[in-house]
Order: sequence, then C-alpha cells, then structure tokens
Amino acid sequence: MRLIMLETMRWFLLICALVCIIRLIMGPTSADRLVALNILSGVVLAFLVIRGVSEGRVLYLDVALVYDIFGFLGFLAIARFFKDKLLGDGEGS
Amino acid sequence: MKDQSESDSGMRKHPIKPITLWNIIRFFITAAFLFGVWLIFAFRWDSYAVLSGLAGSFVISGLTYKVFIAEHEASLNSIVPWPLRLIIFFAVLIFSLYTSSFKMLVAVFSGKGSPRIVYFKTRLRSDLARMVLSNSITFTPGTITLDLNDDHLIVHWFFCNTRHAKAAGEAVKGRLERALSRAWR
Amino acid sequence: MRITLDIIAAVSFLSTIVFGTAGLIGLFRFPDPYSRLQSGSLCGTTAVFSMFIGALALAPNGAVAARIVILTVFFMVSSPTSSHIVARFIWNSGVSPWKPEEKD
Repeated sequence: MRLIMLETMRWFLLICALVCIIRLIMGPTSADRLVALNILSGVVLAFLVIRGVSEGRVLYLDVALVYDIFGFLGFLAIARFFKDKLLGDGEGS
Repeated sequence: MKDQSESDSGMRKHPIKPITLWNIIRFFITAAFLFGVWLIFAFRWDSYAVLSGLAGSFVISGLTYKVFIAEHEASLNSIVPWPLRLIIFFAVLIFSLYTSSFKMLVAVFSGKGSPRIVYFKTRLRSDLARMVLSNSITFTPGTITLDLNDDHLIVHWFFCNTRHAKAAGEAVKGRLERALSRAWR
Repeated sequence: MRITLDIIAAVSFLSTIVFGTAGLIGLFRFPDPYSRLQSGSLCGTTAVFSMFIGALALAPNGAVAARIVILTVFFMVSSPTSSHIVARFIWNSGVSPWKPEEKD
C-alpha cells in the first residue's frame, strides 16, 4: 500500500516536472519562463522529500532543506539579471 | 572638556537604562532563536552538541543582533508572538489556503475570473507582522502581493468583484489580519 | 494507527494529484503571466503542501518526521518569497493584467 502510493507520487511529480520544463522552453516571454521555474523548484523539492521518505534516509531531506533555503537566492539573481537587461534595452533604444 | 560635559548632559537628558536593557533583550532573543535552530538542525542532545551550540549562538548573536532585530521596534510584543495565538493563526492560514485553492480550482476548469490589481492599507504596526501578512497573502492561491511599502500593499487579486479599496482589503486579508493582530499584539 | 496514517496519506496524495493537475492545466490555459502565476501557485504551493502532510504521515522514524516539519516551515517562508520576487519582476517589467472580454 505505502509502496504503491510513494511510487505513484514519484511518477506524478516527474510528469509535473516534465510539463513545467515544456512551459519553460516554449514560454514566450522571460516572465513566463520565471513562472515555470518557480513551479519547477517546488516540484523538485517535493520529489526530494518523497525520495527521502521512501528510502528512510535523512540525507535526502538535508539536501532538500539546503535546496529550499538557497532556492530563492537564485530567483533574486535571475530576476535582477533580466531587469538589468530590460533597463539596458530601454535606455539604449 | 566642554564637549564631553555637553555630551554627558545630553546623555543624562535621555534615559540610558531602557536603551541598554533593550540591547540586552535583543541579544538574548537572537541567541535563543539561533540556539533553537541549532537544536533542531543537529537533532542530538549529548553535552558536546548542546554546549558547542550554545557557545556558537552566543558569539554569533553578539556579532549580529543589531542586524537581526531593528532598533526602532516598539516593544517586545511586536517581535515575540503569543504561542497559542500563533497556532490559531496557522490554523486560519491553512484553512484559507484550502478554501481559496478550491475557488481557484473551479476558476481553472471554468476559465472565468476577473483579475485586477487592488491597492489597500494594513493597520498592523510591527514590521514582522506586516511581512508575515504579505507572505501569507502570497501563500494563498488567488492573491499575490506585488509590492509592500510601509503599510501600503499592492495585490493582484484573481476574483475581484469590487472597486472599493476598503472592501477589497477586507475580502483579501480580513481573517488573516485579525488573527495576526491578535498574535503580534 | 497504521491504517489511519495510511488513510491520511492517501487523502493528501489524492489532493496533491488533483491540485497539481489543475495548476498545470491553468499554466497552459491562461493568457498572461499573472494568472499563470496564480494557477501555478496552485501546483507549486497547495499540492506541495499537501504532499508534505502525506509524507509526514508516512515518515518511518522520528528524525525524518522532524526534518519534514522544519522543511514545511521553511517552505511556508520561502515559497511566497520566491513567487513574490517573480511577481514583482513581472510588475516592474510593465505587464498589464489580462481582463476577460465579457466584463467591462
């Protein structure tokens, strides 16, 4: 019972991540790509937790914790980079 | 010489006691917070772990308590919440998370909705409570905080049905703000 | 006890599947980034949160359960922060929100 549930959740989260990657690749603007990346980070976090629970090891959960804490620093950097690019375009043209 | 006496009288005009007391309180709150996080992360209770965690948290809070808690915070109650009321706030937050999720679910499948950007004010005083309010507005699907100035929120709301700022604020944050204002005074 | 935990886990995993699917559908259905972010938070917040509750019910020992509780608290802080960063970026880049045609 438990094994079936955990396996189902693993495959479901994998499919979610694949769909998010499709949106990430075909998103027309950079804002859409950032939205897809935001969802993808949450899905990957859930995948790590499910993996840790089904293996019964704490190590995966530590990795998930660090991924969660430092995840939004990446968002800050990417948003800052895109903003600088947008502002540079606006001033140049 | 004269300068020193001037500054001395200036110091005497301001009461010294509360400021230093406030520093000590800030220091100990920071140390207690760091030590709690250390205990949770280490998850062991032998004497070596506890003592080294205590020493490390005291050293780090001595270095960083000025950054951790701003000096202009009014009182102790605007930083340390009431524990029981905080739990009530979490219950309210999870309840509103699921109700607004169901609303959003219906909106996704029917394709209807009236998204609009609304502006309103909050009446919370403490900075931490304002931050928690804007975070919990973003946490519930259907509302996203776009910007937070001092007490002024810009929110993108998916189920907008009014143009009145106060009514919009009541509909978006009414329950959360009431629970939060009880938790942080 | 074990049966109760299994039922809790099954219910929360079922809600994960429902909310996650709806969020991904909304991600492809809505036309503008704000609405995509709203329905995406359905997948990225509600689904993940219910999955944490289910994983907490299935946790094999105490250390794993404590880690999951801490992870949930950090997730409640970090997930709104990152979607706020994204929303603020969209707002600053000057995208105006989508309005349905039939209403004004």
